[in-house]
Amino acid sequence: MNKPALLAGLRRVVGEDFVRTDEDSLAHFGRDTCDLFEPAPSAVVFPDSTQQVRDLVLLANDQALALVPSGGRTGLSGGATATRGEIVVSMERMNAVIGSNPGDRTIECQAGVITAQVHAQAESMGLFYPVDFAASGSSHIGGNVATNAGGVRVIRYGMTRNWVAGLQVVTGAGEILELGKGLVKDNTGYDLRHLMTGSEGTLGIITGATMRLASAPGDAAVMVLGAEQMELLLPVLERFGSAVTVNAFEFFSEQALQQVIEKHRLQRPFETPAPVYALIEFEQANDGDVDAAMNAFEQCVADSLLVDGVISQSSSQAHALWRLREDISATLAHRQPYKNDLSVRVSAVPQFLAGVEAFIEQNYSGFEVLCYGHIGDGNVHLNILRPHGMGLEAFKKTCASISEGLFEMVQRFGGSVSAEHGVGLLKKDSLHYSRSAHELELMRSIKRAFDPAGVLNPGKIFD
Amino acid sequence: MKILVGIKRVVDYNVRIRILPDGSGVDTDGVKMSINPFDEIALEEALRIKEAGNAEEVVVVSIGSDACQQQLRTGLAMGADRAIQVQVDGPVQPLTAARALLKVVEKEQPGLVILGKQAIDDDNNQTGQMLSALWGRPQATFASKVELAGETATVTREVDSGLEVIEVDLPAVITTDLRLNEPRFVKLPDIMKAKRKPLDTLTMDELGVSAENDIQVGHHAPPPQRQRGIMVEDAQQLVDALKERGLL
Ligand SMILES: Cc1cc2nc3c(=O)[nH]c(=O)nc-3n(C[C@H](O)[C@H](O)[C@H](O)COP(=O)(O)OP(=O)(O)OC[C@H]3O[C@@H](n4cnc5c(N)ncnc54)[C@H](O)[C@@H]3O)c2cc1C
Repeated sequence: MNKPALLAGLRRVVGEDFVRTDEDSLAHFGRDTCDLFEPAPSAVVFPDSTQQVRDLVLLANDQALALVPSGGRTGLSGGATATRGEIVVSMERMNAVIGSNPGDRTIECQAGVITAQVHAQAESMGLFYPVDFAASGSSHIGGNVATNAGGVRVIRYGMTRNWVAGLQVVTGAGEILELGKGLVKDNTGYDLRHLMTGSEGTLGIITGATMRLASAPGDAAVMVLGAEQMELLLPVLERFGSAVTVNAFEFFSEQALQQVIEKHRLQRPFETPAPVYALIEFEQANDGDVDAAMNAFEQCVADSLLVDGVISQSSSQAHALWRLREDISATLAHRQPYKNDLSVRVSAVPQFLAGVEAFIEQNYSGFEVLCYGHIGDGNVHLNILRPHGMGLEAFKKTCASISEGLFEMVQRFGGSVSAEHGVGLLKKDSLHYSRSAHELELMRSIKRAFDPAGVLNPGKIFD
Repeated sequence: MKILVGIKRVVDYNVRIRILPDGSGVDTDGVKMSINPFDEIALEEALRIKEAGNAEEVVVVSIGSDACQQQLRTGLAMGADRAIQVQVDGPVQPLTAARALLKVVEKEQPGLVILGKQAIDDDNNQTGQMLSALWGRPQATFASKVELAGETATVTREVDSGLEVIEVDLPAVITTDLRLNEPRFVKLPDIMKAKRKPLDTLTMDELGVSAENDIQVGHHAPPPQRQRGIMVEDAQQLVDALKERGLL
């Protein structure tokens, strides 16, 4: 179809004002937060109903168009990036909270509702939506479901998957599905809701999500603890885990901390030098909890696991300590880091980290490598910074080839080459390190079943 | 020199306040309590003065029920040398607080008293000024910078028109504003050490101060809900809407 006819077709579906082709919009909506790929969409459309989404999918099937579902574009794997003239389908206008149901402890949202709004809505019901991370002020609930987002409280609450009570989806064939329907129990065959969760826009466009809510947790206290080595942090977690209810257990390296402190002129947690830090958030229901955590800390110091630590005395201080961890990703963004998002079983973390440290020393000696992540979930983010003066393409190539050695190690540990950021464009060549050939073949046949003409996010996850 | 710092236990800054159904006060049951943020700044300033070699001892004092010992312990963990609790159950109004503080000042003979400019629970902004008057010593309120030199303190004050720099003779009362400093985090090993630091308790009777309040609070009510904004199409509609409300 020629371009004017294509645009006319799109305008008929979403209306005159909601098709954009200006350069700024194409550049802006053409990619997510992974900036290693050049955006080149043909148009951006903004549907405002499930029906319009369906009509777009039908048009795509009819005219052999490719659609890229687009949420808050905070994704880190290029899943929402359009590099090949696709039509970006932005869910921005579908941003209404449809209803809250205290009896079911659920809220029903259109897919474009911002994650932070789900938090606020849950709070106003006296409940709690537990999936949270540094991008929740921009990411969409639909995007969270499409990526099965994890974040900082997975150790206590699990991933987004655990909280999806129901989904409304338009499949690649243009069928509207109501999945889950908010039921707690429903063993009537395959649970397609779980197939949609984490499908990165390749099986269907999520237009609505009913999310389950948790009871509001008690007050929380935050500690930042210093250790000599990454692998000592797991025994630290074990000691705290048996003393208190741990909401989050994160880590970051001194280099990562320095970047955040310099950029935002924040206060160091303490002066004692430590190469790595753990941030632990635990529930502080009564004074006994703080005492128990203090005891755990003393034990860790006695066992030479920790060198120093601080504890928040107010929620402002808790927030200030969280910033040291949560601001890392955004602080590094302008350096266009090459991100590795690896995970292994929690019990394998100490050996894995020792291996990672040795690997970095051997292979990345000329590079700045910053480590941080959700260590309590066995999840490590390795960020390699582009040396000043090295071109982007050369940098990507070098990192990709070095990563192979890293991925082989992940494979030996039975780990994942993408713990929570998904595959998108960035990790598709590495998928075979985590998934067998047979698994990949099954995934392809599932894709064909939902999206026979391949109109939804083609080239993402696999070709 | 000795520095005396006032610390009040208040509902944490980030807690959404709920009024009791009968309007008799604020619901503090199970609510997170912290040191009044301005008092935390006061203590940080005192500790910095001591660390710079301009004071030998920092004493924290709180007027309140036994629960406020928790905040005093936090003060000790931040680095204060001693703590004093003046035991009072129930609310304490500024004049009562100032009278009690005066007695503690007479006992301790500090060269400097640093208080928060106000406590975020009642927002009175009176205790420092009242203490200064009762004590007959200078006051420097809303401090955003404090420099000590011998027998005087040079204090930068945040006032409506900008910044004002004044010099006061010591002993004096300084009250802190938000920009004075950023309080340190409390180190875990220091919490252990704080358990062994002295915390003395005095009663109002021992100080010879009446705990009775002069002001009776009639009623508490939440602020009215904000009305939703309206969207106007163009400048003319905006002007009309403003006129309609008598705003133009
Ligand atoms: C600072 C920062 C911190 C982060 N921290 C974490 C973290 O701790 N844990 C974590 O898991 N992630 C993290 N992320 C990654 C990202 O925020 C999550 O993946 C998030 O869930 C993406 O949501 P989004 O709405 O921005 O999706 P987008 O980036 O817009 O899209 C992501 C993928 O979902 C698809 N998609 C989006 N909306 C829909 C829809 N309605 N229907 C179908 N498919 C759709 C897109 O096609 C794409 O493949 C972080 C990102 C940043 C920038």
